[in-house]
Amino acid sequence: MSSSSSSRLSADARRNREHWDAKADDYQSRHSAFIGRPEPRWGVWQIPEDELGILGDVAGKDVLELGCGAAQWSILLARRGARPVGLDNSEAQLRFARRLIEAQGVELPLVHASAESVPLADESFDIVFCDHGAMTFADPYRAVPEAARLLRAGGLLAFSMASPLLAICWNEETNDPEERLLNDYFGMHRFEWPDDGSVEFQLPYGEWIRLLRRSGLAVEDLVEPCPAADAISTYEWNLAWARRWPAECIWKARKR
Amino acid sequence: MGETLAGGVHLEGAQAMTLPEHVARNRAAWDGWATDYVEAGERAWAQDEPTWGIWGIPEAEVGMLPPDLAGKDTIELGCGTAYISAWLARRGARPVGIDNSEAQLGTARRLQAENGLEFTLLHGNAEEVPLPEKSFDLAISEYGASIWADPYRWLPEAARLLRPGGELVFLVNGTILMLCVPDEDGIAAGDRLLRPYFGMHRFEWPDDQSVEFHLPYGEWIRLFRRNGLEVEDLIELRPGEGATTGYPFVTSEWARRWPSEEVWKARKRLDG
Repeated sequence: MSSSSSSRLSADARRNREHWDAKADDYQSRHSAFIGRPEPRWGVWQIPEDELGILGDVAGKDVLELGCGAAQWSILLARRGARPVGLDNSEAQLRFARRLIEAQGVELPLVHASAESVPLADESFDIVFCDHGAMTFADPYRAVPEAARLLRAGGLLAFSMASPLLAICWNEETNDPEERLLNDYFGMHRFEWPDDGSVEFQLPYGEWIRLLRRSGLAVEDLVEPCPAADAISTYEWNLAWARRWPAECIWKARKR
Repeated sequence: MGETLAGGVHLEGAQAMTLPEHVARNRAAWDGWATDYVEAGERAWAQDEPTWGIWGIPEAEVGMLPPDLAGKDTIELGCGTAYISAWLARRGARPVGIDNSEAQLGTARRLQAENGLEFTLLHGNAEEVPLPEKSFDLAISEYGASIWADPYRWLPEAARLLRPGGELVFLVNGTILMLCVPDEDGIAAGDRLLRPYFGMHRFEWPDDQSVEFHLPYGEWIRLFRRNGLEVEDLIELRPGEGATTGYPFVTSEWARRWPSEEVWKARKRLDG
C-alpha cells in the first residue's frame, strides 16, 4: 500500500513535509539506534511500553501509527502479533522505513500522507497511536477527528508529545525549558520555529479534553511520565527539568 | 435542616473523635476565618446571577451549572455560607450543603432565615458524608472540599453520592498557579516554578494551620475514571481585561496569560 495526496495537503502539512524530507537523514543517523531497540519504548527517554502499559495487548489488532518515521515502533508491534500500518508525511522518512521493514522481514504497509487527511477507510483500526509523531506536527483540530474516524467503536487513540507546560516554559533562543513561565497559555495552538521552518502544535489541557470529546472519544488517561534520574537520550532534552515537571505526556482516549 | 436529621448530632460527635488531622486543622482554620467571609457570603446570596471564582466571572461565560436544575437533588461539598446552594434552590433544585466549619454554617443559617430559603445544612466532612449512595443529581464545590479535603477521599465519596448520569462540577486553583504561588502569605505568584509538579497533592503553608490539596492533571483524570466518572470538561478560567480580585496570591496580569482557576466536570457513568 502506498498513497500520496499532496494536493490535499494543508500549508502547514506541506511545510512539515519539506522539513522532514530535508531532516530525515540527519534524524535517523542521530536517533535510529536509540529508538530502534528490541522492545517498544515511549518518548525522549525511551520508557518501556511494558512499564507504562499504554497500548496493552496488541496481538491480532489493526494498528495505525501516525508519523511512523522509520517504523521502529510498528515493526515491534508486528512482532507482537499486531497488523500495523505506518503512515508518515515524509517520503524520505518512509524510505528509511522500507529499508528497515525489508531488513527485519515483517509485513507492514506504509502510507505517505499527512495525519490531517488519511486515505484509509472509516472504522478500520483498533488502535491509532503516535509517539512524538503526528499530534505534534499535524494540526490536532484536523488530526484528532481523523484518528477518531479511523477507529472502530471501542478502539484506542494514544499519543505522546511534549506537554503544554513545557510549551509555556520553552525558551526559543536557548532551545531549552526554563524554570519559569515564558509563553502565554491561553490560545496556544500553532508554534513556528524560525530556525528550521517546521510548524508544531500544542493545545491547553482543557482544549485537548474538549477536542477529544467532540471527536467522539472518551478521555481515559493522561500519563505524565517522569524519567529516571539516570535516563539517557539522544534527544537533547533537559533531564533536570523533566524530573520535576512533565516535559512529555501521553493522552489515551477511547472511541465511544 | 441539619438538626432535624436523625442522628446528626450523634454522628458529628463520633466523627470529631476520629477526625483526620487535616480535617481537624481545616475545621479550626475555617472556624477562625468565618467572620472574614460573612460579607462575601451576604453579597453572593443577594446575587441573582451566579459568578465564579476570585475574578467573579459570570455563569453565562463559564457554564458551570447544568442548564435545567428544576427538581434536581444537589449537594454542595464544603458549602461555606451556602451561596451556591441558594442559587441552586432559586433555580428549583433541592440542595443539601455540607461544611466542615460550624462557624461558616452559622452564617449560612442566618442567611437562610433572612432570605426565607430553607434547605438542609450538615456539619461534617465531605470525605465522609452521612447520606445514602445515589441520592444526588449534582455534586458541586467552589473552593470547598475541592481544595480543602483530600481528593483521594472526597472524590470517591462524591461519586458514591451521585446517581448514574449525575454530574460532578468543581472549581479549584489552577494547577500551574499552584506551582508558582509563594509559600508566604500575601505575595502574588510570579513566573517562577517554585515547586515540582510530580507528586503534588498536599500543600501546607508557613503562615497558617490549613492544609490544601491540589493534583496533577493526569492524576485528576485517573481519579475520576477509577470512581466511575467520565471526564466531560476542564474549563480554564481567564478573567477579562482589567478584572480585579481581593485575593493577594495572583494578579490579573498573571491570570490573563496562565490559568489561575480551573473547573472540572465529570459525569457518573450510567453503569457506574
